[in-house]
Amino acid sequence: MLAYFDSIWKCRHFWLSLVKLDLRTRYRRSFLGIGWSLLHPVCMTVIMCLVFSKLFKQSAVEYAPYLLSGLAIWQYIVNCTLQGCQSFFSGEKYIRQTPMPLAIFPLRTVLSATFHFVIALGLVLALVIGMGVAGYRELHPLAMWQAVPGVLMLFVFCWSMAVLAGLATVFFHDAQHLAEVGFQIGFYATPIIYESRLLEQNDLGWVNEINPVVIFLRLIRDPILEGIIPSAFTYFEGLVIISAAAGLACLLMARLQKRLIFHL
Amino acid sequence: MALIDLENVSLHFRVRQKRQVTLKEYLIHHMYRRSVNPYVEVRALNQVDLCAEDGDRIGIVGHNGAGKSTLLRVLAGVYPPTSGTRTVDGRICSLFDITLGFEMESTGWENIHYRGYLLGETPKSIAAKQKEIAEFTELGDFMNMPVRHYSAGMLVRLAFAISTAVEPEVLLVDEVLSVGDREFQVKARERMAQLMKNARLLVMVSHDLDSLARVCQTGIWLDHGRIIKFGPMSEVIQAYRGNAQPALSKAAA
Repeated sequence: MLAYFDSIWKCRHFWLSLVKLDLRTRYRRSFLGIGWSLLHPVCMTVIMCLVFSKLFKQSAVEYAPYLLSGLAIWQYIVNCTLQGCQSFFSGEKYIRQTPMPLAIFPLRTVLSATFHFVIALGLVLALVIGMGVAGYRELHPLAMWQAVPGVLMLFVFCWSMAVLAGLATVFFHDAQHLAEVGFQIGFYATPIIYESRLLEQNDLGWVNEINPVVIFLRLIRDPILEGIIPSAFTYFEGLVIISAAAGLACLLMARLQKRLIFHL
Repeated sequence: MALIDLENVSLHFRVRQKRQVTLKEYLIHHMYRRSVNPYVEVRALNQVDLCAEDGDRIGIVGHNGAGKSTLLRVLAGVYPPTSGTRTVDGRICSLFDITLGFEMESTGWENIHYRGYLLGETPKSIAAKQKEIAEFTELGDFMNMPVRHYSAGMLVRLAFAISTAVEPEVLLVDEVLSVGDREFQVKARERMAQLMKNARLLVMVSHDLDSLARVCQTGIWLDHGRIIKFGPMSEVIQAYRGNAQPALSKAAA
């Protein structure tokens, strides 16, 4: 196990250069550069803000950061899982050439998604701090730091999801399609565009309780926006979720690492 | 010190006869659909024994589908043997499919780095070597172009230059060198001879029996995943040719 992570670390130059390549090809020849990856969540937020802040009778000042942070976290998980589905296939040319720890290919996918996530999160922070300084909303500078462990936990979760999605797609070709359908449903079952309060008020509180994404929303969104420091129980829940996901990913990886190449 | 030791190695794997199952099918129909889409067992290698040490140059001959490339991949550690043991000591470098391991959108320089890292180089060590690699390829300004625009011969030049510049102790070559032009072939042979002087190990698969005879001193004739003949290269080639000839004349008649 430790030896495996050590071997991943040993070939860090390789996967880091692939991540760099992924990011560069994405922005090559585009006028806006990195702005493109910001444009999507910003446009989504502006449009939805116009519609839903009226619908939910909320001020845009409250709603815009809420929506943007929710979308950023959700998109991060979705991107890692869906792009993770293809990670082993896209690394096939290397896998067929040299033996190496195969978990680096999902890692490559997750790292470039992390780059975009960090940018989106930076935008949220800029928005919150900007509004706070201008006096439109309360600022919680100390509580904001409490989001850092949540972000790290989310990274581990996403890497595990990418490994699991990648393995599933190698053995069952429709896995990506099923995951897309699942995320479509999940988007509406998760308090991203609406507040989780609304679920509780309508006797749907259990939807929150069974949704693992809600834990990460609580760990990252609450401290940044509301200044609420996540409870020890929420951290515990998060640890349980990432241990389950990472444990399953490690177990399957150990079992399938050798057989994988015959199915590519 | 380089060493290859395969002991009683077999490689079997199973593939679906028709196509891969989907998760939906797996969950719903798995119980009674099994017979419709059965597994087929592929016996790619059967009880192969092979031992080689520093300075050995081994050539592998055989018909298409005899298991030559599979054997190389087992040696490289890409395919894990189903049974038997594989011991390979020394830094391995493999030249299989030429397009394998190139990022098509990246330039030649960038690909030197990717492939170098894959072979265990560090940014520092590869920076020191990249000039020499580029010189060996003689690609000139093409090095600044995306690899996508390269011809097969140019790709081989680049791949070969990188793989030999990292000073491998075990070099595995699969039928790729024949793509290069005459001038490059000569150069490649020189580089190989140079590598061999440092007592390295080479395993090469080719259908070009003449070049095998020139480069290798030990031969293996593989058929249906079994070693038919193992011995001096010239004898193995003779036996292989003798076997192929009757089949040809029969077909002609």
